[in-house]
Amino acid sequence: MNPLRRFLGTPEAVAGAIILIALFAMALTAPLIFPGDPQAIAGPALLPPFQDWLLPLGTDRLGRDVTAELFHGARTSLAVGLAAAAAALVIGAVVGTLAGFAGGLVDEVLMRVTDAFQTVPSFLLALAFVSIVGPSLGVVVAAIALGAWTGPARVARAEVLSIRERDFVASARVIGMHPLEIAFREVLPNALPPVLALSSVIVAAAILTEAALSFLGLGDPNRVTWGGMIAEGRAVLRTAPFLSIVPGIALVLTVLGVYLAGEGVVETTAVRRSLS
Amino acid sequence: MSEFTISRRTVLAGSAFLLASTALPTIGLAQTPKKGGRLVVAADSEPRNLNPAIVASNGVFFISSKVVETLAEASFDGKDGLDPRLALSWEGAADGLSVTFKLRQGVNWHDGKPFTSADVAFSALQIWKPLQNLGRTVFKDLEAVDTPDELTAVFKFAKPTPFQLIRNALPALSSVVPKHVYESGKIEENPANNAPIGTGPFKFAEHKPGEYYRLEKNADYWGKDQPYLDEIIYQVLPDRTSAASALEAEEIQLAAFSAVPLADLDRISKVPGLKVITKGYEGLTYQLVVELNHRRKELADLKVRKAIAHAIDKDFVVKTVFLGYAATATGPVPKNDPQFYTADVPTYAFDVAKANALLDEAGYRRSDDGKRFSLKLLPAPYFNETKQFGDYLRQALAAIGIDAQLVNNDSAAHIKAVYTDHAFDLAVGPPVFRGDPAISTTILVQSGIPDGVPFSNQGGYKNDELDALIAKASETLDTAARTELYKAFQKKVAEDLPLINVAEWSFISVVRDTVGNIANNPRWAVSNWADTWMEA
Repeated sequence: MNPLRRFLGTPEAVAGAIILIALFAMALTAPLIFPGDPQAIAGPALLPPFQDWLLPLGTDRLGRDVTAELFHGARTSLAVGLAAAAAALVIGAVVGTLAGFAGGLVDEVLMRVTDAFQTVPSFLLALAFVSIVGPSLGVVVAAIALGAWTGPARVARAEVLSIRERDFVASARVIGMHPLEIAFREVLPNALPPVLALSSVIVAAAILTEAALSFLGLGDPNRVTWGGMIAEGRAVLRTAPFLSIVPGIALVLTVLGVYLAGEGVVETTAVRRSLS
Repeated sequence: MSEFTISRRTVLAGSAFLLASTALPTIGLAQTPKKGGRLVVAADSEPRNLNPAIVASNGVFFISSKVVETLAEASFDGKDGLDPRLALSWEGAADGLSVTFKLRQGVNWHDGKPFTSADVAFSALQIWKPLQNLGRTVFKDLEAVDTPDELTAVFKFAKPTPFQLIRNALPALSSVVPKHVYESGKIEENPANNAPIGTGPFKFAEHKPGEYYRLEKNADYWGKDQPYLDEIIYQVLPDRTSAASALEAEEIQLAAFSAVPLADLDRISKVPGLKVITKGYEGLTYQLVVELNHRRKELADLKVRKAIAHAIDKDFVVKTVFLGYAATATGPVPKNDPQFYTADVPTYAFDVAKANALLDEAGYRRSDDGKRFSLKLLPAPYFNETKQFGDYLRQALAAIGIDAQLVNNDSAAHIKAVYTDHAFDLAVGPPVFRGDPAISTTILVQSGIPDGVPFSNQGGYKNDELDALIAKASETLDTAARTELYKAFQKKVAEDLPLINVAEWSFISVVRDTVGNIANNPRWAVSNWADTWMEA
């Protein structure tokens, strides 16, 4: 059975994929459907949803179009989620490979640093980092990656520890390859699949962390973020609950979609690996 | 207290007997005040220093004005807008070099020691003048306080000081603390700053950080039959949305200082048993102001400043950001001020076309992407409304081709960025008008203020004409002439726009209808609540 068909055979994975595709479509079409500034004032303030077909999800306290904000917010959420996860995976894979392959003192030092990062709750770390450096998109990505790279690092190291004892590594040594070349060209690619399996969890967590930071007012104020929208809506939660509910639902669906699709991929590849 | 006043409101406020015997149609308060009861109030912040003589701010007064009293309190219809508290009368000398206060007799501190003129002299010379945020300006020329007897204090000034200013400063700046508690050791580190000792109707009982402050009745209070309440609890509810639910659940009886979000007021006013009250804050007017950094060459150009003023739709701000609970501003003195306000100033109507024309004229043409130049905009984080106005201003500026980049900071970082580091182009600030322009308003445009003084002109603005006007007004003794000078000041500020005044707002209280005698003076939330009572 080919992996794609197996993937499509699991209903959760399909549901996840559909959500993700819809989300990417939202993010990519946002500037086409809602050109201009999504934070521009578009109508009367606090218009409830489904009253005006030009403003299908209503407006917020200043009269900004919630639909436009939702679409543009998808861009921020996805961008931050993917960038932070990519950064975390790269840092984690490099640190893990170095530690595992070099062993000895380097391993000790790198792993103790990893321990140190793991003992601090990652959200607190992100919070502290953003409040010191100041909120902007790049800083938020860095802050989230800072707390998320330890998982991939540990997994990569464990894999590398077993791979470096294999015969092909020994033969690479014999032909005189540079140790760093062996580590990154021979060992790392083979250690990667289990590390990548973590990516869906990291992306989901990164999206949630970004939302939480924005909710606390530590997101980039010049961009629409779902967390920021929820925070804005909180002040009028009793009179205009849709302002918090709409981005809240979007957030739940996104995280669910990423998680389900990720699980689906992991499961199909896991089956393939065990078959081979 | 009732022997000094004959006004309707103070009668209502002060005396149960008179109240019972007069059939005045009152706002639902025509009942006899009852004794006893515990009033639970929402508090949104926990000030560390509770000494109002050092930190004269509304956050501190809200709690400590019940414990530590001032010489006089603001009043709706007392003489000069004042009601006596620790002082019974005050009189300024014709040469402006002295002010004589006659003090109240038979007042004791909460620790039992008698209150005398020595306490007033100590507070004025050792605390108000050198340490207090506002007193530093108003009492800068205070040289000595003579105490010919225990109930007389004579303030001596080195330079003529307008009596009108001293009078207007009394409600906020004249908190008297006990000399015998503060005279040894460093005043800033005195433990009484965290557990104040005063003469007020309530004694400070305890503070549980993160939970509540508790004040209890001062049985030895000088006011006849006062206070009525046994206890006041300030329940710490930092989350603005929780105050409304706490009121509805009858966990608290009062949420002052707009603790209930404006957007919720419409709904909550329909809840039986709750009242929405806009009165009682007339003396605490906040101003919504765009602070400009004149070091930026674009903002140093009056045409650009005028363009920004024309780009702001003040009516929209009042209607949408403040939901109508505010007024549009014309200049640096709020419209509701009875002494100084003048409407005779240049105004800037909302006119995007004109704003664009002014910017073109100033030489800042739109580039291909439609933008003229970019500015850093720092909205003050203290109020929801200042943040929302920041969001609005960004859009309003986008319409005239100015690309404003928002920078959000917490309170401490905002104050440092704007008032010390000058790392802003535009800032949104909420200065307070305190009844006299010389207390905290002229400082917003005056030049020569050292870096780091918060809520002052840190935008590098310098105008010799305005500086001269401010200096002249600060030494003009005649009330009418002084008032005229401040009218000229308003006109000049509106003309030259060192900053842009957008709106003026005050606060809203939401209260259970079982609480009596509320909002009966212009600074009610920060007054002493001696006459506040509750139905059992």
